[in-house]
Amino acid sequence: MRAKPLILTVDSNRRNLELLNQFLNKEGYETIGVSSLEELARQLSELPEIKLVMLDIAGFDRTIWERCEQLQNQQIAFLVISPKQSATIQVQSLASGARSMLVKPLGMRQLLALIKSLLGD
Amino acid sequence: MNQKRLSTGIRGFNEVLHGGFIPGRAYLVRGGPGSGKTTLGLHFLSVGVANDEPSMYITFGEPAEQIKNNGAAIGLNTEAMHFLDLSPSAEFFSQMETYDIFSPAEVEREPTTQKLIESLDAIKPQRVFLDAITQFRYMSTDAFQFRKQVLSFMRFLLEAGTTVIFTSEASQSAPDEDLQVMSDGVIHLHNSSIGRTLEVTKFRGSDFRSGFHAVRLTDKGMQIFPRLQPENYKREYSNQTVASGVPELDQLLHGGLERGTVTILSGPTGVGKTTIGLQFMKEAAGRGERSVVYSFEETEETLVARSESVNIPVHAMIKFGTLSIVPVEPFHLSADEFASLVREEVEERLARIVMIDSVAGYRMVMRGDNLVTNLHALCKYLQNMGVTVIIVNEMEYITGEFRATEVGISYIADNIIFLRYLEIQGEMRKAIGVLKKRLSDFEKTLREIELTRYGIKVGRPLSKLRKILSGTPEWTDDYDGEK
Repeated sequence: MRAKPLILTVDSNRRNLELLNQFLNKEGYETIGVSSLEELARQLSELPEIKLVMLDIAGFDRTIWERCEQLQNQQIAFLVISPKQSATIQVQSLASGARSMLVKPLGMRQLLALIKSLLGD
Repeated sequence: MNQKRLSTGIRGFNEVLHGGFIPGRAYLVRGGPGSGKTTLGLHFLSVGVANDEPSMYITFGEPAEQIKNNGAAIGLNTEAMHFLDLSPSAEFFSQMETYDIFSPAEVEREPTTQKLIESLDAIKPQRVFLDAITQFRYMSTDAFQFRKQVLSFMRFLLEAGTTVIFTSEASQSAPDEDLQVMSDGVIHLHNSSIGRTLEVTKFRGSDFRSGFHAVRLTDKGMQIFPRLQPENYKREYSNQTVASGVPELDQLLHGGLERGTVTILSGPTGVGKTTIGLQFMKEAAGRGERSVVYSFEETEETLVARSESVNIPVHAMIKFGTLSIVPVEPFHLSADEFASLVREEVEERLARIVMIDSVAGYRMVMRGDNLVTNLHALCKYLQNMGVTVIIVNEMEYITGEFRATEVGISYIADNIIFLRYLEIQGEMRKAIGVLKKRLSDFEKTLREIELTRYGIKVGRPLSKLRKILSGTPEWTDDYDGEK
């Protein structure tokens, strides 16, 4: 068991990934960033102690929802990050098992509060 | 006014602020692009550098290198200033990967603040110029945060005893009323087709000169010409009269022109108005007094040549420093700039007679500014300083209905002397008369006047002529041949 909770971040934009991980690291979380769905699948199979997945759906195709269902099956909590406020995406996210859908840009303090409540610390 | 003031580095600006900035305060300079905000800031810092006060330029937009060069180009010591360059570098563009996960405000704020605090702690500047504070707006997510950030940043600086000038780029879409409320003083720079101006609308803890003051940006930097407020100037002077040295003319005026009065010399073109003005100056030069002619229409050469031909030794007068002929280009100066030229002559070079040649030329210079108001202020100032003012007013009509002056400036004058062309027995002659004289009586008759190479010749009163003011006089019935 790791001392710090491990969060897996998924984003097709490298700069987004970097900023998100920087922020989470500073707040005391360990992170692994991936920018493709293949990588996501690999990490999921290798690292069973992932506590939370943050999934920025921008730049991915519809197969993203299959991954979501896979996460749900593995009982890993995940958050969907959407580039825009959209009812369709929200319904689809929740239907696929997301704990919540967040719209970019994320407010740092709100995000932190949400993660804390999801991880129960 | 026992407060210590910080020089702004611009003489006219210090005058507007009654001495300069009050230390330990924050001032807002607002103005559109190209209005001279940066130049004003560089002047402020360069005084700091000269006084060995650490001075710091914080830039969010223009690269420091460029500012340094521009400052050096107007002769300011930018090398000794500390620059904190927070402007985006070229690499920022080529290496930047866009992001949208967080708002830029949240991502950029921290590194920027960190850099600011680090360099402020290291340098401990006494003077800070920050260009532009509106950048903070983009680093805050809402208006409330912006206000809090600016205020806390100001407090951070002011607690260290720093005097801060910050600029704002205000526009219709991003007004800066909030910043005006937060600052201790607000300075507006305007750049319009009429010219550049500076206006102070707020200056906590002190009085200041209100109104628009002319601004000039030259290769020596920024100059500010405060609006002339005549009531601020006073000089003791004796109530002497200034004689012309032409006995008949002095008889006409019952002695001459008094100090501290305004005389309008009115008449059609070529009648000898300028020459008569110069005659008073010639006499004054004999007493060692200095005079200045502001020539709006003539070049110095023609004026000199013309005067020499009527026995007024202008060459010699210029050589001995008792006369200055200052040609003024139309459309070149504003009213305030012209007034500051005159002030320099009066206050530093002690001119006692000033001639403005002519009203029409002065009007051209004003470029639509209010002629009467400006001329009035200038004359009032000169009167307070005990200067004898001669204003040349050219009439458009050679003959015909008599008028004292044009454009409604008669009320400014203490004395009005007029010159006329007369047609006497088919011959063009000239006459001179006095219409008004506030401080003494005067001769009510007209006299003939002639400009000869020996000087101005004024004849005896033309008491035998009637209807002189009509321009076509007739001899009275008892006339029995001239003289």
